[in-house]
Amino acid sequence: MKKTFKKGMIGALFATAALAAAPALQAQETVKFGLFHDFTKVYTFVADEFSQGQRDYLTLINEEGGIKGQKFEAIVRDHGNEPQRGLELYNRAREEGAIYFMFLSTPVANAVVPRALQDKVVLGTPLHGRGDAMVGETFPYVFPMMASYWSQAARLLKYVEDTQGGLKGKKIAHVHIDTPFGREPLPILEKLAQQKSFELRAFAYPSPGNEQSAVWSDVRRYRPDYVLIWGAGNSQMVSVREAVRNGIDPSKILSVVWLTETDMKNIGESTAIGVKRVEVVQPGRDHPIIQRILDKVYKAGKGAGPEARVGNTYYNYGVADMVIATEGAKLALEKFGPPLTGEKLKAGMEMIRDLDTKGFMPPVTITPQDHQGGGQARVSQWDGKAWVPVSDWAAAYQDVVWEEARASAAKFSQAK
Amino acid sequence: MDFLFLAELFVNGLSTGLMYSLVALGITLIYKASGVPNLAQGAMVMLSGYLVWAVVSLLSWPLWLAIALAVVGMFLFGLATERWLLRRMVGQPVIMIVMLTLGLDIFLRGFVPGLLGAAPKRLDLGIGLAPIIVADVFVNRAYLVGAIGAMVLIAAAMLFFRTRLGTKLRAVSDDHVASWAVGISVERAIGISWGIAGVAAVGAGTVWGSVQGVDWTLSALLFPAIAVVILGGIDSLLGVFVGGLVVGVLGSVIPGYLDPIVGGGTRDVVTSVLIVLTILFRPYGMFGREDIERV
Repeated sequence: MKKTFKKGMIGALFATAALAAAPALQAQETVKFGLFHDFTKVYTFVADEFSQGQRDYLTLINEEGGIKGQKFEAIVRDHGNEPQRGLELYNRAREEGAIYFMFLSTPVANAVVPRALQDKVVLGTPLHGRGDAMVGETFPYVFPMMASYWSQAARLLKYVEDTQGGLKGKKIAHVHIDTPFGREPLPILEKLAQQKSFELRAFAYPSPGNEQSAVWSDVRRYRPDYVLIWGAGNSQMVSVREAVRNGIDPSKILSVVWLTETDMKNIGESTAIGVKRVEVVQPGRDHPIIQRILDKVYKAGKGAGPEARVGNTYYNYGVADMVIATEGAKLALEKFGPPLTGEKLKAGMEMIRDLDTKGFMPPVTITPQDHQGGGQARVSQWDGKAWVPVSDWAAAYQDVVWEEARASAAKFSQAK
Repeated sequence: MDFLFLAELFVNGLSTGLMYSLVALGITLIYKASGVPNLAQGAMVMLSGYLVWAVVSLLSWPLWLAIALAVVGMFLFGLATERWLLRRMVGQPVIMIVMLTLGLDIFLRGFVPGLLGAAPKRLDLGIGLAPIIVADVFVNRAYLVGAIGAMVLIAAAMLFFRTRLGTKLRAVSDDHVASWAVGISVERAIGISWGIAGVAAVGAGTVWGSVQGVDWTLSALLFPAIAVVILGGIDSLLGVFVGGLVVGVLGSVIPGYLDPIVGGGTRDVVTSVLIVLTILFRPYGMFGREDIERV
């Protein structure tokens, strides 16, 4: 009886060990990416398209045989822009074996940063999250990968400088949503205003930005040479409409990255001809990457959403995020071999040099020091039908941007 | 002082305030008949905007037909809300009914964009962007149309409460038990008030949707609407009108001068202060009825 009991116990132990090992074995089968979004609250204007682009690109990679035999799996869930829910999703996906995370929500990403640093998994923060996360030494596992809001503001001003024969004496209005995101570029703008001798005035409107009439009456009276608009979703539409209503020339309006084809249609395609925006990825379908997705994913009926969205700006941003992350995975697998871990992926990301996507995005170089990827962006202009580039890919005033980033990162280190 | 700037802030504040009144109207209509402050009115405005957009954009039907269908749809939605949600709450504390409307608000805010798409959508009423310029004061054409719409709807609501049905609704608001005793169907009356509030939401959703696009942020109009009903008096249609004007003007003029000094964000502060001061010093608002209870 005793012997039987002992055998039973050993059997149970083996069974338990096998069960415990199962997730780890499963984790080796596919490389899991936790691609979480706010599908239901604040970031709804971008979440669907961005997520679709991410998932379609991973499907494309899988359809093409994976990378070094490794297939990728997207874990997609809604965090509703709530940090608590984001942390819950993070923990769950960690248990499921995810090694790359992206939340496309600044409050959620900021809440996850300490955990990602501690757990040594990669947190992608393209176009959201902490601006100072570009400082790789302080944030070794956080990767903004694309031009931060600081770099975007700098790029827009450089465009004005290059096309208008300098910034000296110009009047620049920064019309922004009254949130940390809207105020984020102000330190860079203020420093550049001092350096370049232009006049800067900030105009804030309350969130969510559905009513801005009083602000724009004031902007009109200020008579700015250029207006930066810094909002997202429908507040951008309201900004452009109010600017036009107040007689501001659309070609003098310069937008943060969050202005898309859908916004222009909502404003009125012909109403906003001339509006400019900064962009970090080429929109549209006229690119081999997007053509491959259409050919191998949508023709096979494996698209993650409506085919009509393919090529939209936010869709392509989602694709670009995965292009960079999978490039990091490829380099990591080549150097270290499977199974891929957070530490290996981090090292792979930091090996990316001049990633050439044939113009889909600027060349990306990520180093242990620079997690922004170089900070290049370009300016494009709405012609009534599409966004047309009016500048080359370039990084601007990175000395000022890095000074701000390092100062902010130093505060983070001190607070730890 | 730039008086033209002040005039422009004032005029645009008036029209913006009346646009808020359009949202607040539904809250007052329901309160007048059932004594329930409806916290789902913002989400009902959002739902209405989505309905009009869906008929125009997905079915390619004309705007007038879309509005008519939305009116019918939202009236039925109001009736259904009373029948399936509120009727079950008879005898429950009012606070639980308020929580129910809050739950409905949260549900609609998640469900409707999830079903019909969360990205902002265009709702074009054909109102041009060019402002009406009077003595160098720019008047927003779309807001002016919205303000006129608000006045028409408030006037219609005032007339409605003078009709036989409206009188019944007022009686129900005064005393449910006494209304039952004289043969008034309280459930039907409350259902109708929710239905009419749904109709008012179509007005607000259409006008605001054309100004800012249709998405979840339409539901955020609840906050200024709450300020309007608290200031004007939650059971007063005149209060909806005057409260809207005051909230709109103060929310335009004060931030117009303060924001450049403090760096922005004062409009929500103005609205909040209005709510707090009104509740502290005149809890029934400017035109609300002061109920005196014997203890």
